[in-house]
Amino acid sequence: MDNVWTSTNKLFFKINPSLKFVIISSLFIVYLFVHNLNTMIWASLLFLILYYLVSGLTGKWSFWFVFLTLIVSLFSASAMIMFGKGDHIIYQKYLILITQESLARGILLGLRTFTFSLVGMIFATTTLPVPFFYSLMQQLKVPVRYAYGCMAAFRMIPIMAEELMHIRQAMIVRGMARQKGAKALYERMNRYMLTMLAQSIRRAQRTAIAMEAKRFSMTEERTYYYEIGWSRYDLFFVVIILLTVTLGFVCSAYFPLTPFTNVLDH
Amino acid sequence: MSSNNKEEWGVTNLRLAFPKKKTMHFKDLSFHYVKGEKILLLGPSGCGKSTLLQVLSGLIPKSVELPMRTESQDIPESWGFIFQDPETQFCMPYADEEIAFVLENRRTKCEDMPSLIQHYLDMVGLKLEKNHQLIRTLSGGMKQRLAVASILALEPEVLFLDEPTALLDPKGTEQLWQTVQRIGKDRTLLIVEHKIDHVLDFIDRVILFNQNGEIFADGPKAETLRRYQDKLDEFGIWHPGIWDDYEKNHPGNQITANSKEPVLELDHFMVMRQKKVKFTADKLCIHRGEWVTVIGENGAGKSTMIEGIMNLLRTRGKIRWVFDHPEDHVQFVFQNPEYQFVTDQVDAELGFSLKVNNLTEEEIYKRVNEQLLRYALEEQKHQHPFQLSVGQKRRLSVASALITYPDVLILDEPTYGQDARNTFALLDLFQQLREEGTTIIMVTHEMEIVRHYATRVLKIKDGRIVDDSVNNSGEEKKSGQRVDQHEQIIF
Repeated sequence: MDNVWTSTNKLFFKINPSLKFVIISSLFIVYLFVHNLNTMIWASLLFLILYYLVSGLTGKWSFWFVFLTLIVSLFSASAMIMFGKGDHIIYQKYLILITQESLARGILLGLRTFTFSLVGMIFATTTLPVPFFYSLMQQLKVPVRYAYGCMAAFRMIPIMAEELMHIRQAMIVRGMARQKGAKALYERMNRYMLTMLAQSIRRAQRTAIAMEAKRFSMTEERTYYYEIGWSRYDLFFVVIILLTVTLGFVCSAYFPLTPFTNVLDH
Repeated sequence: MSSNNKEEWGVTNLRLAFPKKKTMHFKDLSFHYVKGEKILLLGPSGCGKSTLLQVLSGLIPKSVELPMRTESQDIPESWGFIFQDPETQFCMPYADEEIAFVLENRRTKCEDMPSLIQHYLDMVGLKLEKNHQLIRTLSGGMKQRLAVASILALEPEVLFLDEPTALLDPKGTEQLWQTVQRIGKDRTLLIVEHKIDHVLDFIDRVILFNQNGEIFADGPKAETLRRYQDKLDEFGIWHPGIWDDYEKNHPGNQITANSKEPVLELDHFMVMRQKKVKFTADKLCIHRGEWVTVIGENGAGKSTMIEGIMNLLRTRGKIRWVFDHPEDHVQFVFQNPEYQFVTDQVDAELGFSLKVNNLTEEEIYKRVNEQLLRYALEEQKHQHPFQLSVGQKRRLSVASALITYPDVLILDEPTYGQDARNTFALLDLFQQLREEGTTIIMVTHEMEIVRHYATRVLKIKDGRIVDDSVNNSGEEKKSGQRVDQHEQIIF
């Protein structure tokens, strides 16, 4: 994971993770109620720019994430575009019916998916798991057992990746990889799932015992190695997000790119 | 139970049952110890030493719920527990955070933590570049010492150690015991271990268990060990001098590998891990009937080499087997036997390779039963491979590789984590195979195996073969008579 980050020193890394979490979550709600295609277009553009400015990922990773998000958005748009209702028919063949209205709705839906992913990624790529959970415990009073449970789970991810490689190697060595056909494929998948599951349960159990042996208590008070506080960066963050959102609405009012101000109306 | 200056802990009349087993595991077992004692618990695998350790620490029944009954269970006020598996006893990604986790549990002030973390790391002699280092980049031995450091943060009076070196190499083992000896001076130690060379220096009391989980001997170190010397061999305990005893009865490799017929040739062979070249061999030729041991430090590239040969990693350059279909003639045994298993039942596991090779049902049945008997797995044939004991898992992984009668057997530290009895049984088996003409390539850390069995030693350093010699390392250590024995090997 370490080679994925360019630098953990960027502005967005220094923001209180709980604040970031709450603000970002509220963005989801805001854009859920936007039915103006122009607003959505501007918002996705602005968040794309913001994402490139603040993201902690290296260029290569960043590009592929955005690319993947675009594809997913296209899929979610296409269903609405091709099978929607509307009066102004653009194209019709067999079951496919594309109208101006459905096109607008589809694009809005696609852009919403795109924006949601971007916003989510702004959070995910600038937040390290450990400080995030510490902040959740300290600011949002999340019970310690969930927070530490999640942190322990995060530790398992690279171990599981290694395990996946070992299972693959075992299949090559034992000749399982050479078997062909659907049944062999099914058995291989089964093998991956079962082994990973069994091993994960065992590991989780052992870790839990080890944690208790280290006097982890789910109920008692505890101190924190990282004390996550507030700083002026938090203010910057709120201002930046507010600016981005407002700018989106303002631009859509003054520079409407399409006539569809409410896709539900038409 | 505690008097003024002498504190005593332990259990009286302990009875305990494992789920799904009808019989009680311990029957009225009593065990007590006093402050400052350094105790070693020995016994055959599966005798319940580890379970007792967990009872003594209170982990059973507090964290591990097992049905148990006892007249009294006196648990020390502060204790620490070191587990066998270095991987699963951490819950945080970074070294400093792991120690901090314990400090948090003890409600240490945040500002005191960094200096305390440094203090505990110094105590176990763990020098990291920076304390905020990813735990998974540490070696097994370093992980175990970090585990000790985090336990020390509990400031425990009593330390329980449950085979902490079972998954470590000899160097890591030695360093860990040095650490434990140093930090254990003013503490009470209870140790379960089957490699006792380094432990013997600092313990003073020895407890011996039999197969039924009963204590049959309990006394001062020297006397107890002398009296029950034969029991140690029976239990498969690695004790000093065990190799000498073994060599008296087993002549070792005296048969010359005189075949000049190559089975494997490497030519400008490179193995990559994550797009980086991690092993390079310009020229290497392995002949039929050789027992090649691959030695070197941790991370030198030993496993990379054999995994490259098995085509499990990306390679460049030429690799030439003498066989047209090497996959039918070459078998590989992983370091961790669990990685070998691809089915859910012991007998299916054995038959798997045969099924892949399209043998008839009768033939598969015949061979599987043969192997079940030979490797003493008959009773376990319907069990899941993961439920077997450490020794049984190893036997099964070797058996499932050998069932196809391979011409070449490649093994990654096959004796890793095995007790002495299993190790010797395995070595005898490999020896027999070699005499029948099987070529063996084995990665090992165990120099006794190299000295005693190998016909050829490849030393790997920084991803290159730095030494390729016929085996004569015995000369340095052993008497003239042995040299003669070994000289016969040289060809």
